Amino acid sequence: MTKTTIPIGPQHPLLKEPISLNIDISGEDVLGGSLRIGYVHRGIERLAQERTYVQNVHLIERICGICSHVHTTTYCYAVESLLGVEIPVRAQYIRALMCELERIHSHLLWFGILAKHVGLEMVFMHSWHNREIVLDIMEALSGGRVIHAANQIGGVRFDLDAEREAMVRNMLHKLEEQVGGVLDGIVHETSIRARTRGVAPITAEQIRQYCVVGPVARASGVDVDMRRDDPLPPYDRLDFNVITHQDGDAWARTMVRVEETRESLKLCEMILDQMPGGPVTTRVSRKVPAGETVVRSEAPRGEVFYYLRSVGSDHPARLKIRTPTLAALSLIPVQLSEIQVADIPVVLAGIDLCIACADR
Amino acid sequence: MLEGLFYLLVFPGLGFQITCGLAFEWVDRKLLARFQRRVGPRWYQPLADLIKLFSKEDLLPTGASDSIATILPLVSLAAVLTAGLYIPMAGFTPFSFEGDLIVILFLMSVPTLAYYLAGMASVGIYSILGGARSLLQYFSYEVPLLLALSGPAILSGSWSVADIMASQAELGPFILYQPVGFGLAVAGLIGKLKRDPLDIPKATSEVVAGSLTEFTGTKLAFWHLVMDVQAVVGIFLLINLYFGVPAVYSPWLAVLIFVGEALLMTFVLSATSAVFARLRIDQLAGLGWRILVPLGLAQLLFVIFMGV
Repeated sequence: MTKTTIPIGPQHPLLKEPISLNIDISGEDVLGGSLRIGYVHRGIERLAQERTYVQNVHLIERICGICSHVHTTTYCYAVESLLGVEIPVRAQYIRALMCELERIHSHLLWFGILAKHVGLEMVFMHSWHNREIVLDIMEALSGGRVIHAANQIGGVRFDLDAEREAMVRNMLHKLEEQVGGVLDGIVHETSIRARTRGVAPITAEQIRQYCVVGPVARASGVDVDMRRDDPLPPYDRLDFNVITHQDGDAWARTMVRVEETRESLKLCEMILDQMPGGPVTTRVSRKVPAGETVVRSEAPRGEVFYYLRSVGSDHPARLKIRTPTLAALSLIPVQLSEIQVADIPVVLAGIDLCIACADR
Repeated sequence: MLEGLFYLLVFPGLGFQITCGLAFEWVDRKLLARFQRRVGPRWYQPLADLIKLFSKEDLLPTGASDSIATILPLVSLAAVLTAGLYIPMAGFTPFSFEGDLIVILFLMSVPTLAYYLAGMASVGIYSILGGARSLLQYFSYEVPLLLALSGPAILSGSWSVADIMASQAELGPFILYQPVGFGLAVAGLIGKLKRDPLDIPKATSEVVAGSLTEFTGTKLAFWHLVMDVQAVVGIFLLINLYFGVPAVYSPWLAVLIFVGEALLMTFVLSATSAVFARLRIDQLAGLGWRILVPLGLAQLLFVIFMGV
């Protein structure tokens, strides 16, 4: 059959955020593809130089609509390390609790998208139904479902009293019960397995070559997790497993995320159990001493890297953000060969694209 | 003359079948919604959708033939409505003749061919992909479906749906004799209706809406009608071939049983579409030729040699 090019994006039912893929196909076989990004570039790094450190917390929260909290957390730790401030331990735990809730929320969203892409809308609906519970917990904690505004430089903006803690624990139990069913469904449903097993495998060498991080890397047997390798407090005091899988295919990526969701649920309980009392903020100066720093943290999609340089004013001189999706995007053209047209959604879903993060 | 017009336009023709089609769509959508923890649409939603589509602007891409795109859904609708005329409704059989099963199966294949042509005629790349997929799918499900449906015909010794149905009043429902054949027929029907998990030709995440991607307005409305009427004709055919209507004294009771059987079949179709992920086209071909066809042949041989 002759070679045809199908355009996927910038607008396509498959895509939730705009990227442009031109995929060469011959009949049902995919021959290769090219990728164009940059449709949601907002110049956030430049904007950050125009604003004060305090204003930047609000700006940075808006990088991503899913992992908004982990971005501000990383940014705040970066500013605090330049300030030489250690925030109260209770604030560290609250930050970590929100991070883990966000991971559960992101992974549940991802299961839904995978299920939708392989034509299993029931899992999509049930998974997103459970995601609502996570959003409710986050709303009960911070007042915001997606944009939480939880962080401020020097601590967090809310505290948990005993009543709200009990409420959060109740909701977590409810979530654990319900989510278990959905996760078991994903693991045992043969038609999901048939659609993902052996699809677009990525080797550990390719992962290292393209600097891919997060669940995609762990699914190919590359054991990286910033929560363990370069922990921000309080992850050095928490006990959790880093999930890896050896196969590297779309099925392995699914399994890694299923296990990570379970692990994060355990972590939430652990954080609530260990959380000490005390204040949640410290006073910090508005001007940041000159210097530069790098802070890394584990977002739901992998390592988030923040470089921050200060010249002693109340504006950052340079803020560089590296998000996990950008590296993963470079793997898409590699994966778009020796698959079928029907596998394209599975390949795109498997990476868990967050274009807003990547383009900024 | 007047009686003929009534048959054609009201019962069991146009009016009845379109009503059934819309009712089927509502029950199906409602069931699917409940499986997915949604509320689902009101009862008039399928009709409202149809009216809305009829009032929409009718567009086609440059280079697509308007006349072909208009004729295809109309021919398909005519074919499935005609097929519906020959199917006994709760024992009511005005047009039955020997061999009508074959005519029905032929007429029900017309929409698939039209769907393929619609994809090719509307020049879009997704349409062409969807059209090609629909033909590939046709070759995978049609053979097992025909093998399965010849089971009841051989068992009752007639190729007339009315006779097959009538013979079940004595012998009992054929689903008891041929459960495998019934399963194959349901799988074939799902393939024919392009429903999940065999919605490969119109998989949203892969080919947008398949052949119908470029269709809008009235033409799309007619395609939706074709899909709905095809579904009810398929369901009525299967319940006639495999369940029959037991000999009861009251015709109203027979109607009630018939409606119950149709709802049961709708439930089966909705549940299957809810719990399975879509197959890839190569997986479907493998399933069709490696599993369904041998099963169908085995079922057929069993029927022929055992005489039951």
